[in-house]
Amino acid sequence: MKKLSLLILSLATMLTFVGCVDVDEYDDSPKGNFEALWHIIDEHYCFLDYKADVYGLDWNEVYERYSKQMNSNMTESQEFEVLTKMLSELRDGHVNLYSSFDNGRYWSWFESYPANVSDTLLRKYLGTDYKITNGMKYRILNDNIGYIRYESFENDLGSGNLDNILAYLAPCNGLIIDIRGNGGGLLSSAEKLAARFINTQTMMGYIQHKTGKGHNDFSEMKEQKLKPSSGIRWQKSVAVLTNRKVFSAANEFVKYMKQTPNAMIIGDKTGGGAGMPYSSELPGGWSVRFSACPMYDKDKNITEFGIDPDYNVQLSDSDLQNGIDTIIEFAREKLKQ
Amino acid sequence: MKIFNRKTWLATAVMVWLITGNATAQEYSDTIRDGKTYTNATMVGVGGANILDTYLSQEKYRGLSYEMVYHRTIDRADSRWSKQIIHSTALFITQNRANTGNEWELMYNYQHAWLYNWDFLDGRLNIKAGGAIDADGGYLQNDRNSNNPLSVKAHVSIMPKAIATYKFKCGSHPAAVRYEIGVPLVGTMFSLNYGQSYYELGKDDYDRNLVLTHFINAPSLKQMLTLDYTTKKTTLRIGYLGYIRQSDVNNIKCHNYNHSLVIGIVKRFNILKIRP
Repeated sequence: MKKLSLLILSLATMLTFVGCVDVDEYDDSPKGNFEALWHIIDEHYCFLDYKADVYGLDWNEVYERYSKQMNSNMTESQEFEVLTKMLSELRDGHVNLYSSFDNGRYWSWFESYPANVSDTLLRKYLGTDYKITNGMKYRILNDNIGYIRYESFENDLGSGNLDNILAYLAPCNGLIIDIRGNGGGLLSSAEKLAARFINTQTMMGYIQHKTGKGHNDFSEMKEQKLKPSSGIRWQKSVAVLTNRKVFSAANEFVKYMKQTPNAMIIGDKTGGGAGMPYSSELPGGWSVRFSACPMYDKDKNITEFGIDPDYNVQLSDSDLQNGIDTIIEFAREKLKQ
Repeated sequence: MKIFNRKTWLATAVMVWLITGNATAQEYSDTIRDGKTYTNATMVGVGGANILDTYLSQEKYRGLSYEMVYHRTIDRADSRWSKQIIHSTALFITQNRANTGNEWELMYNYQHAWLYNWDFLDGRLNIKAGGAIDADGGYLQNDRNSNNPLSVKAHVSIMPKAIATYKFKCGSHPAAVRYEIGVPLVGTMFSLNYGQSYYELGKDDYDRNLVLTHFINAPSLKQMLTLDYTTKKTTLRIGYLGYIRQSDVNNIKCHNYNHSLVIGIVKRFNILKIRP
């Protein structure tokens, strides 16, 4: 029986080790949703310190200001509006609040600027006999300049598709990649496309991630190195056309192309979006998206608020009326030089 | 005339060899007992689960679990040491409290234990205690997250383990109550860092992704309480399976509290090797 007692004692000792790993859940109420949202951003958002420096964002002051607006008598719609307004203080296109009746967003990064792209003009330049593969529309313009219209990086780019496009455009004297309005998508697709314009492994920038709840808890910056593609690679000049709606993975693509030997960026400044977005949620079930992993250019500058083009060219009203795309025409001229 | 030609001699020799060989074999038993008793239990279970993984969400997800568990215990007549092997697979399908999001988890567990036996109360109470290598692998997926859509789970640990079995008669039927418990003591676990992305991990950005775990940062527990009841030649098993899996590493808090009702069949047998 002595042995039995000893075994029971050992068992009881084992059980005392098992404590709880848990978190407190906020109430499913306007105040609870507000607290949950504020803390998600406070603990996970990656640009709080950066934006404090750039435009004086004070997230604690935001708490004080908006917590006063929350009360238990609010309607769902009012609650959603206040929470969306609070998130707008971050001035980030990657920050969204999703409910079943609306998507809360901050779109001033492109809505406050000229579009610098026209569907009517693009239809004129592309015509009707252009080719399409994997979301890319392409053709050879009449001055033997290749033209690719790429509106989204949402599709996973295939090597075969890119080989076919570049083989078709190979006789051209230069290439235009028009990504105006491209709101991003897969970072891997941006990398695959940029890898067609380098011949050696190239350092494109840096990425890091948060390691804790503190605003400045970050990992070391990790170099983003890009290897050249083993498929067909473009060796002539290339112009990338941009506007303020070029965002996220498309913004990264512009960052990559800036490091390639034969590329020039033409158009308006890009929209930015240099934080890889993560998701979380509120007690009431609304989903929230926010920037989590900051990305930098090769000089360790954050590209959250966009990348300046090599040639800032705006679509002029007179050209628009005459059916001319100022930015495409500027690129064609540059490629001929 | 020759009575025996060469072929006849050869056939006769083979026959003599076969007969004498056969006679030699018959001098021994044609079966070999390896002295091992195998107890196999195959169980299915259904229960409730409470899942938290702060890499995916601050919210706890609750729902159902479905398990399939295979136990094999090998006892030896010539040794007080037993061996136990467990394979189990579990599927968890859970929702957030607002019912607007789903998380589902698929986990496989392997356990290999070495246990020492003690018998009490004239052999009615058997206690096994020892250590096990416990390995979990799987993933938890959130169906609406963007760049943090899932959490890969992989954990290997050394686990002290104990099993108590009390045998009794229920009428004329043999029965047994059995309680089994294991607590992972020390091990290693894969975990992303707090805000690390799988994109970075894919670019060889190692950031303390293999973490030393122990009973303080990963306090976990596996336990099972069952009743075995034998009717005719079949032993049925019914009981409770509890699985508390927790970790607090790289500033990510995780738990999976799983309580299930299990039912299954137990088979106990010896293996006889028969000489050809």
